[in-house]
Amino acid sequence: MKRLSPRMLLGLTLLVIITACAAFAPMIAPYSPVATSTNVLGAPSAQNWLGTDQLGRDVFSRILWGTRISLQVGAAAAVVAVLIGAPIGLVAGFFRGRVDFVLVQVIDIFIALPGLVLALIITAMLGTSVLNLSVTLGIVTAPTVARLVRGQVFVVRETLFVEAARATGAGAGWIIRKHIMPNTMRVVWAQFAINVSLAIFTSASLSYLGLGVPPPAPDWGGMVRDGSMFLPLRPALSLAPGGAVALTVFTFYLIGSSMNDAD
Amino acid sequence: MPPPVGANNGGNTPDFTLSSQQEEKMNRRQMLSTVSALMLAAGLPATVFAQDAPPTQGGTLNVGFISDLRTMDPLQSTQWTERQILFTIFDRLVDLNPDFSLKPGLAKSWDFEEDGRRLVLHLETGVTFHDGTSFNAEAVKWNLDTRLDPNGNSSQRRQLEGVIESVEVVDDATVAITLTEPYPPLLSLFADRAGLMASPAAAEKWGEDIGSHPVGTGPFKLGEWTRGSTLTVTRNEEFWQEGMPHLDAITFNDIPSNVVGIQRMMIGELDYIGHLTPLDTKLAAASPEISVEPSAGGQWYSLQWKWDSAPYDNPELRRAVAYGLNRERINQILWEGEGVISNGFTPDGLWWSTDDLADYSYDPDKARQILEDAGLTGTKLQLAAPSGDALRRFAELAHEDLNAIGLDVELAPVPQSEYYAKTVAGEIRFTPMRWTQRADPDGLIQYLFATDGTANSTKYSNPQVDEWIYEARVLTDQDARKALYDKIQKQISEDLAYMPVGFSREFSALRAEVKGYTPMPDLIPRFRYFWKDGA
Repeated sequence: MKRLSPRMLLGLTLLVIITACAAFAPMIAPYSPVATSTNVLGAPSAQNWLGTDQLGRDVFSRILWGTRISLQVGAAAAVVAVLIGAPIGLVAGFFRGRVDFVLVQVIDIFIALPGLVLALIITAMLGTSVLNLSVTLGIVTAPTVARLVRGQVFVVRETLFVEAARATGAGAGWIIRKHIMPNTMRVVWAQFAINVSLAIFTSASLSYLGLGVPPPAPDWGGMVRDGSMFLPLRPALSLAPGGAVALTVFTFYLIGSSMNDAD
Repeated sequence: MPPPVGANNGGNTPDFTLSSQQEEKMNRRQMLSTVSALMLAAGLPATVFAQDAPPTQGGTLNVGFISDLRTMDPLQSTQWTERQILFTIFDRLVDLNPDFSLKPGLAKSWDFEEDGRRLVLHLETGVTFHDGTSFNAEAVKWNLDTRLDPNGNSSQRRQLEGVIESVEVVDDATVAITLTEPYPPLLSLFADRAGLMASPAAAEKWGEDIGSHPVGTGPFKLGEWTRGSTLTVTRNEEFWQEGMPHLDAITFNDIPSNVVGIQRMMIGELDYIGHLTPLDTKLAAASPEISVEPSAGGQWYSLQWKWDSAPYDNPELRRAVAYGLNRERINQILWEGEGVISNGFTPDGLWWSTDDLADYSYDPDKARQILEDAGLTGTKLQLAAPSGDALRRFAELAHEDLNAIGLDVELAPVPQSEYYAKTVAGEIRFTPMRWTQRADPDGLIQYLFATDGTANSTKYSNPQVDEWIYEARVLTDQDARKALYDKIQKQISEDLAYMPVGFSREFSALRAEVKGYTPMPDLIPRFRYFWKDGA
């Protein structure tokens, strides 16, 4: 087995920590993330490490629990993106010609629209929930996956082993399943990690705009927004969840980009 | 926090500051004693008036507000934020004292004749509009007729039609209004938007564009208006009340949020911001140049349901919610304990206030038991969570309390700008709601609780209550009216038309040099009386 690059190692270490936070949130978090209290906008203290928010909820506990939502939304969105984007990319790349032309036009239209704007439009139609948010972000990132897969398919379909398979009379479906797909997976996985980070980032933006996960769920983007009302007084209310978003996005980006660089 | 169109629209305007006309007739000492008496009547702090130096003339006041301005035409205006500006450009026919009693405005005096079926207004003379045309009986007739025009779409038409039969010019300074039936609350409508007098000549000149070219008789004229940014009104040198106004100009600055407003205030860009929550004031309190003044009373907060549709048509469910809501705790968290919890919708200190209401003190065990006995445990409810911070926080707290008594409540986020329209349309059936107080009980009571009330979006209907409401609105004797309103309010609290929560606490922040501010029960500041020390 190859040695992991330092970047990959850092990424994976952070991923383990973040995942542990999500998995063990009920054990680590000192308070319920949704229990309000009359200690409103409390300063950071021994009881509330990062202080309390505008409804007296413990900010540290909410950030820990928020890891779950962020990872859920990020991973689910990336899966949706692969499920939608990969088949489109495979078909476009393999059949080329008119099919490719039409699909690429559609993909380009979606890529041309800023992701956040597209997400705003879809969220407005679907309504807000964790599931809808994942689907929305999946749709938004799917075109990138399709583009990437298509390009990879172009390369793979010209290789000798594909040509050999075709010579022996193998059908398109069989070739795609047996040869093309396995050989495009690495790119897909790299993009998967990057899409997780994109989805987490965009979902935080949507929540900041009030279109993310419905309250009272502990959602980082929403926490940044609520905290911004009290930024001069309690900077931690906004900066801490903002830092959590940054760290998580950074982690997945590190992993994704290291996979791309690896040979 | 743009309030919904409709909600908050009707807060009538008790005017707490003496008009200059009265000031002229009094020396300073008399004035102060009168003012103190007024303050005692309203239970307000006396510090507001402890100002010895005469008002400084000149200077520009910079007001910060979260703007949703649409029009400056008082006949069309619906937005609540528009009124604080309209009140500087226009005068009203009738003005109000802090106990909601009436005092002269553009009408010096009035009489009811023919058993209350005819209202005669005696107008101020020598008053001119900003365009030089004179204010007279013809102008009043035009203002009322235009509001009543079925082809016009004045926002006040529904208030006035059915009440006013015709308007007649008796002479240049006298107007007689024939009513369909006796309706004393008409005077308090004239103390609000329906009484703002606009120039007929200007309306003819500008046509559809009148909303951008308001012409009134008020102490200020419209200067420059950059939509979405600033609106400036400048001093009217010809103003009919001597010595007024004190300021040269007032600029209304659009701010995205209160926190930004307070920051701009700290560096001296703004002089005044209203509608601060107790949490907002924590920021302002850190700065020595800013003083924070409590408003007189607050908005009425409630949970509103669709009273006639399942499961909200079940009195047991409503009762369970009423006992299950920890209102004291909501007060602690939302308003730092400075709000006032109430079983009704009328704050203390008004002539129709009452304590004789059904009492729903917090009792979660009882609430749980009621649900269980009625087989309602686990009922799924969707509670709207409007995006505006105050209402969303309130929804989150209600969500927590109601789930704790065994209901299955889900929060449904909705943009602040849409929630009221959706509630009226019946798409939202359970939502936090808030209203401002009006100068006459008929305002809010008929509006919200009569079966055919203009804003009855709960679909509350009780024939007995209807009968009392229509009986009370035509009475001239205040004691007789009070007796009926007591019965009405008790019945409504027993029927739980709304789940009443209480009255919020709001604050205004002012820079230290800003004077002349008086808290108003309708939460609309009267900027015409402001001045800046040393300006």
